[in-house]
Order: sequence, then structure tokens, then C-alpha cells
Amino acid sequence: MEENCLIEGQNLSLRIGERWLVRDLSFSANKGEFIALVGSSGSGKTTLLRALSGDTPLANGQVITHADCPLPVGMIHQDLQLAEGSTAIKNALSGCLYRHSSLKTFFGFPDEEKNRAVTLLQKLGLGQKLNQWTSTLSRGERQRLAIARTLLAQPSILLADEPVASLDGKWAGETLNTLKEYAKDQKACVLCSLHDLDQVDQFADTIIQVDPVNHEKWEVKCNPSTKA
Amino acid sequence: MNPEMNKMPWYNRLDLPGVTFILFLLLAASSLPALEGSGRDLDYWGNFLRFTDQFFPPDWSILGQTMEGLWETIQIAGISTFLASLFSLFLSLGAARTISPRWLVFMTRMVLNIIRTIPSLLWAILAVVLVGSNSLAGVIALSLYSTGYLAKFFSEAFESADLKAQKALRSLGSSRWQAFQYGLWPNLRPVIWSHCLWMLEYNVRSASIIGYVGAGGIGLHLKLYAESAESWNKFSLVLLCMLVIVTLLDFTGEKVRKSIREKLEGVN
Repeated sequence: MEENCLIEGQNLSLRIGERWLVRDLSFSANKGEFIALVGSSGSGKTTLLRALSGDTPLANGQVITHADCPLPVGMIHQDLQLAEGSTAIKNALSGCLYRHSSLKTFFGFPDEEKNRAVTLLQKLGLGQKLNQWTSTLSRGERQRLAIARTLLAQPSILLADEPVASLDGKWAGETLNTLKEYAKDQKACVLCSLHDLDQVDQFADTIIQVDPVNHEKWEVKCNPSTKA
Repeated sequence: MNPEMNKMPWYNRLDLPGVTFILFLLLAASSLPALEGSGRDLDYWGNFLRFTDQFFPPDWSILGQTMEGLWETIQIAGISTFLASLFSLFLSLGAARTISPRWLVFMTRMVLNIIRTIPSLLWAILAVVLVGSNSLAGVIALSLYSTGYLAKFFSEAFESADLKAQKALRSLGSSRWQAFQYGLWPNLRPVIWSHCLWMLEYNVRSASIIGYVGAGGIGLHLKLYAESAESWNKFSLVLLCMLVIVTLLDFTGEKVRKSIREKLEGVN
């Protein structure tokens, strides 16, 4: 095992009913690495991410995490899972709840957490909407908010299920750039399912891609564009 | 119409709403004897005109004491709704199927059903017997009555709440309480507040009538004016003031509820 490795999948196999989604996938993700999961809709990207987070049981194989921090894994879900009746800033800040006691957060959040949240939300284009109810934000804004919440939680392994699906080209690029910077700065790894091959080419260090012929087989390869 | 439909016997075309509508018409027809009245030959129209004539003009000289009575009514409604909201928050946890075990849900719902079955006026009579004829009786009566309704509404809100945000926060390491406070409560709060506002409006109306049996508020004034001769113009002023207050409350409550609905529905 490499010293920098944060998460390993060993001979992972996943299935839904009789249908195999993944067979014998092995990979490892290192500190600072951005990994893209690529495959058509229904190929099993979400199920694979959920299996890595521990939410879905594996049919075979094992997932080993080597992260030594209070929150090893954090996931950005496709359905966002935000508190719609809460303001944008509170939703973002709820990512850092685990760092403080319930008594402390009962009355609010420390100033340093607030400052960090505001800076991140401004970077993601939500600076003018901090105190707006989440339900009144657009789908794209809510998606960036869900990303901000998980980034503020600072997990070592960040799993992102189609995090830029509702974003226009500009914000998709900005957001993926933020995720990539996060991996580098925090020495974390990001595993992210993507559809746009240009984005994959631009941001991914490693690509885990479903085989176009045998849909149960997944192939792990380095991205030559970013390796250079 | 499909020719096959014509061949069907008429009763095969009836569904549950159809059957209940026919039963309703039968009930109304069989209730016609209730319109007979006393059977005495009374001049209904003349009585009505004489009666309404005494209503006008309203007697403005009692405006001050009427406003005092109304203020007491609003106070009874306000504190009752507040107390009922507190009781209901706890009781609704027991009545929510998604939170509590089945035996507790059954027991709590049974208690709430019993509370709701007794009208507020009967609660007021019981409270007057307990604590005497004063506004405390009104507070006790309306707090109990409102708890029956609010706890039911709150438990339904708990049952239909979106739990995804709460689960997401748990997976990000937050404690159970933190996940409730920041994941579930923000989604529940507007709905619960909307129910509380509705209950406040309802309680202002109820508090106006329970005074009739001695439970404080403007109802007592109504009773006095209705029972004393030549006081219908005072009675009409009280009604007028109540109309203004209730309309204002209705208007404000609806505005707030509309704003909550719009915010919750969002722009998507």
C-alpha cells in the first residue's frame, strides 16, 4: 500500500437483484488525487459511491479507508439533501456541526466557522444569498450549497455524485476547480461521477470508467492530460 | 357515452362519492320536520325586523369597556395557544408513527381524540366548575381544547417531514440533537408556526364565546347585553368590535401563511 493512500477498493463487486453493476474492481485513491467515475446513466456510479461511503452493502470485495481524521468520508448526494426551510448560510455551516458540541451549536456557530463558510459561499457565487431560504434558491444554487456544506465538513475522502449536473459551463468549471483545489490543499481525495468527457479530461487525475462492451467491468486508468 | 355504459345497471355506475352524496340527500330530506319550529303562529319576519332595528345604531358609549373585554379575550387566546403549542410539541412526538412505538402512538392518539371530542364550551364549563368564573378557566379550557388539535397537526407534520437533510447531517458526523435542530426542525418550523397562527385565530373566536359560561373575556359582556332589556345596541357594538378584530387576525394570519407557503414552495 502506498503511504499516501486514503481509500482502497479491493475486488469490489456490486449488484442489484440479479444484475451485476460492478465486478472485481480494484483501485486506490491517494492524497490530493481527483478521480472521475465515468459511465452512462444506470451504469452503477451512484451505487459504487454509496458502497464506498458504506451506505450500500458490497456483493464481494472490501473497502479499506486509511484516513486518520474525525470525519473520514463525506458525500455530496445527487438529491442534495438540504434543509429547505433553513437559510443558505445555516445549511452550509451544518457541515461543521461535528466539530462542536450540541450545546455550543444550539446558540449558533463560532465566528471562524462563519467566516470560512462565507468565504466559500462567495467563491461558489452564493455571497448575495447567504440569508435566503434554501427552498427559494435555484437548483444550480442549491447544488453549489450542498457542495459547500460537504467541503466545510472537511472529509479526507470526498465522494461527489454528479456534483455539477445542474450547473452551467462557467459554474461547473469553477466548482470542479474548487473540488480539485480542496483535494490538493487538504491532502484529501475526491471521487466524483461525471458525464462531460471534457470536464473529465480537464480535471481528473485518474479515471474509473465502465467498459463499453462488458458493462460489469470497470477500467482504471491515468488521465494523460493532467499527468503532464 | 360508451354504449357499453348504457347496458350497465344504474347502481354499477355509483362509486363511493356517489353513494355518500345520495345518502346526504336522503338525510336532508328526512330532516325537513326540523324546519317546523314551535308550531305557533309567529310573525317571523316582523320579529326579525324589530330585532335588527334595536341593533342600530350601536351604542358607542361602551367602547372602552368593550375594548377591555376584547383585550382579555385576546390575552386568553394568546396564552392558551402558547401553552397548547408547548404541550403539543411533546405530545406530537408520542403521536407520530415515524418517531414513537406503536403502543405509544395508539395511547397518545386516543387521549388526543378524547380531548377533541369535547367542545371548547364544555371544557369551559368544566374549568369554571374547577377554578371559578374567571379568565383562568378560559385559559385552561382553550389550552386543553387546542392541544387536542395542535398535537394532531404537529404529529402529521413530523410524519410527513423530509428526513433526508437530517440523515445527511448524521452521515457528516453531527449528533442526533444537531441533526434534528439543523436538518429536520428548519423544515418543520414553518409548518408548525402556520398551524399555531391558525389556532390563535380560532382561539380568539372561541375565547369570545366561552365567556358566556363564565370563562372570562368578551363573552360575558355579550351574555349580559343579551339578557338585559333594551341592550341590543350594546350587543351590536360588541359584535362589531369582534368582527373587526377577527377580520384583522384572519387577514394577518393569511398573509403570514401565504408568505410561508411561497417560501417553502420556492422558485423551482
